[in-house]
Amino acid sequence: MIGTAKIVKALRHGLVLSAAGALFMSTGGALFAQDNNKSSDVSKVVRLNRAPVSKEVLRVKLPRPTIVKLPNGMTLLLLEDHKLPTISFSMMIRPGQLADPDGLPGLASMTAGMLREGTEKRSSVQLATEVDSLGATLGASSAFGAGFTSVSATGLSGDADHLLDLMSDIVLHPTFPGTELAQFKQREEANLEQRRANPNFLGTEALRKALFVEPPLAVVSATKDSIEKVTADDLKKFHDQHYRAGNTLFGVSGDFRSDDMKALVTKYFGAWSGASEPALEMPKSGTGGPSRITLVDRPDSVQTVILAGTRTVKRTDPDYFPLVVMNQVLGGGPQARLFLDLREEHSYTYGAYSNVTANLYPGDWIGSASVRTPVTDGSMDRFVYEYKRIANEPVPESELDDARRSIIASFALSLESPSQVLGGWMNVQYFGLPADYWDTYPDHISAVDPTAVEAVAKKYVDLSHIEWVAVGDRKQIEDVLKKYGPVSVVDSNGNAEK
Amino acid sequence: MQRKLVAAGLVVLCGVCGLVLGSRKVAAASDVKVPPLDLQESKLSNGLRVILVPDHTAPVYAINVSYNVGSRNERPGRTGFAHLFEHMMFQGSDNVGKGEHFLLVLNNGGGMNGNTTDDRTVYFEELPKNQLDLGLYLESDRMRSLAITQPNLDNQRAVVQEERRQSVDNQPYGHAYLDIDSLAFDNFAYKHSTIGSMADLNAASLDDVKDFFRTYYAPDNAVLVIVGDFDPADALAKVKKYFESIPSQPAPPKVDLSEEDHYGERRESIYDPLARLPQVIQAYRIPAGDTPDNFAMQMLATILSSGQSSRFYQHLVKEKQLAASVSAEPDERIGPSLFYILGTPRPGVKVEDLEKAIDEEIAAVVKDGVTPEELAKARAQDLRRFIDTRRSVLQTANDIGEDAVLYNDPELINTLADKEAAVTVDQIHAAAKKYFVRDQLAVVTTLPSPKQAAAAGGAQ
Repeated sequence: MIGTAKIVKALRHGLVLSAAGALFMSTGGALFAQDNNKSSDVSKVVRLNRAPVSKEVLRVKLPRPTIVKLPNGMTLLLLEDHKLPTISFSMMIRPGQLADPDGLPGLASMTAGMLREGTEKRSSVQLATEVDSLGATLGASSAFGAGFTSVSATGLSGDADHLLDLMSDIVLHPTFPGTELAQFKQREEANLEQRRANPNFLGTEALRKALFVEPPLAVVSATKDSIEKVTADDLKKFHDQHYRAGNTLFGVSGDFRSDDMKALVTKYFGAWSGASEPALEMPKSGTGGPSRITLVDRPDSVQTVILAGTRTVKRTDPDYFPLVVMNQVLGGGPQARLFLDLREEHSYTYGAYSNVTANLYPGDWIGSASVRTPVTDGSMDRFVYEYKRIANEPVPESELDDARRSIIASFALSLESPSQVLGGWMNVQYFGLPADYWDTYPDHISAVDPTAVEAVAKKYVDLSHIEWVAVGDRKQIEDVLKKYGPVSVVDSNGNAEK
Repeated sequence: MQRKLVAAGLVVLCGVCGLVLGSRKVAAASDVKVPPLDLQESKLSNGLRVILVPDHTAPVYAINVSYNVGSRNERPGRTGFAHLFEHMMFQGSDNVGKGEHFLLVLNNGGGMNGNTTDDRTVYFEELPKNQLDLGLYLESDRMRSLAITQPNLDNQRAVVQEERRQSVDNQPYGHAYLDIDSLAFDNFAYKHSTIGSMADLNAASLDDVKDFFRTYYAPDNAVLVIVGDFDPADALAKVKKYFESIPSQPAPPKVDLSEEDHYGERRESIYDPLARLPQVIQAYRIPAGDTPDNFAMQMLATILSSGQSSRFYQHLVKEKQLAASVSAEPDERIGPSLFYILGTPRPGVKVEDLEKAIDEEIAAVVKDGVTPEELAKARAQDLRRFIDTRRSVLQTANDIGEDAVLYNDPELINTLADKEAAVTVDQIHAAAKKYFVRDQLAVVTTLPSPKQAAAAGGAQ
């Protein structure tokens, strides 16, 4: 399963080769209903309808965690699951990368990355040895585009006390030692170099910049400059200011008793203080202007990575549910229109998908595919075709039924993973959604009708405003791209090219 | 257990040794008992092996069909064919239309995929429990009656060629990952890549697909595993209903996987215009999977590079500050396997200096072995990861299917923890001495470009 694996996995046999890239779990589906499909040149997908399918949609209720507000303002979510003797801890500490100051992109990320490099009680190597000796994991990160720093730990349930000791040590008492920081910077610089060799990173970087224009939302990584500039003092300040009990959701799932766990978490985090910070205002800048194309010049590429997207809404926006369903129809998996068109019909790509996000601020909706260089324009024509189709033709009822059913029916699969279920409930807290959000989620999905899908498609999948990015070999694709709009060119360091 | 875990691990690397733990009692990993799985095995009259594993934790089930065929079975001129064939299995059969497989599984809340390695090809679905018939029907229909047509073949040939471009030709180090195997093996079976060459993919014909289907996709060359929320008697009755009338076939020809002894280290250096940093990959030859020596080398790999306290991380990344990353990744095949070591120097460091430091780490293990503390730590890491893999019925089904078809050892999922726990420091030391031999070493070095290579003597 490419996609879940690391570089090393690729080594293991020269690649585990999958039929469809990743494990595809449905989060929705769609199909070309043959009989409703007026454009006969589109799908060769054939529905024989002979396989035995249970008409019943297995509706499940996700188990709810116990939610406790600690006196220091931290919210604790506890979800017991006794199948196996392991335990998982997960903290979300606002506001993460959104609080990166001007001129220091990646400060939140670097602060999180340095938490394990030394505390008042333990050196970097002591932390590493304790964690590994438990067979545990302990890590912290502050993803770009997310509004929180994530600290997580997993281990055997018998080690819960020790894991919390370690976790509280790095969160409450990091020292950001100078010698460790110097080494950390070198690793960050190397990581950045490695990422710049990856066309998907370059594409995401260019698209976020086109969609959001200004930091922090337009930024997807630290820069060479910010890595060089950042000081231990910067990290300390960021930590002092934003790592607060009141900013924190603390989730525990797995094999434990809730009463014991509440006491244990209180033992290690009860003395932590700090009131919650108000939500940050994000810059409203964005384009909304006419469609444009950013070409990222990556010489010697044999494929063009195409991305075509737009800004969306906040997670609490009423457009969110119709967007989710619309996305499933258009690009939510190997059963969706983009895949069937660009891959199964036209053989342009190994896979074409779309993805929608929504956050405390507007997220994005992005369709993408990696296509061989000579069919760059052919593939863009297919994106144009499918984007127009979803915006201008009502989605057939049967296709919509499939999409809604796939989302609702897939809830059963999530029951396997308590940490995933708990993550869903933590999001409810994080986004300020209604307490019964996951209980009513299927009803919200069921209520999305063709009119609602058409409305969001017209509003968001609007070709006159779509931002395009093409990562590939400039000398081979620049001329064909000009057919689709004004082209600006950047190099693989993100700098404008003439 | 590392074998199962490679994909699960978070960061690589590791290290330390010799560091004394705090006074805390390390939770006795050895006291943790993983509840054993109840594998109910039977064989249909057509030779299909069926393994049922009830697990009522969640209202779902997973089905895995593992075929005893992989790229090792390919012939010269048809590299990449086993994997191309895997793609054909999603193109329809007598009662399932082209693309309908995706629709039926995804639109009913499930997940699915397939994949191909050197040794085996697997197909799997996970679905809500009320769709048990659906998964069985889909798998049986394509085992019985694949739709082999020229348009489907031409379509998927082009798709696979895009897959190759996306995962190999358009990626930094893509060619190095293929070259290391072709350098390390002389026997064609493992020497060539699973993804195959563009020319060979172009040469694949409809007759090739028909022959391959008849030869390898027979019930007596496959294992069917179902794990999840079902009644075993009911499930077995359904399996018989859908699968038992599929005719068996003569056993496929055996493939000679044996590798002659090598004399002398093998080296290759390539320029990769898509890479921004150099890289070195070493591969030592080690024995097949599910053998005591392979387990010993798996444990050694955990000691060398799993976690930030591992040797590679502490010595090469932290103390000597030579590497941006280093990892040890032994593989496991049914024949001769490889112990890969992969290192990327940090900017400004010469790749040969990193390789020399890696060699010194290996020499240290050969000379002095590892410590009991390191081994205890590795066991704890592997055990915890292994337990986590058991949460998913799909992962469990896939592991059992693979162990059955590769090693004829489906119970390995229940014995793996003990087999790894049985590995001693003496065994690891002996294995390191035996397999870390320069005559058995292949090395592929990647340099970003000729220009950068020229600079390699200086700044780079």
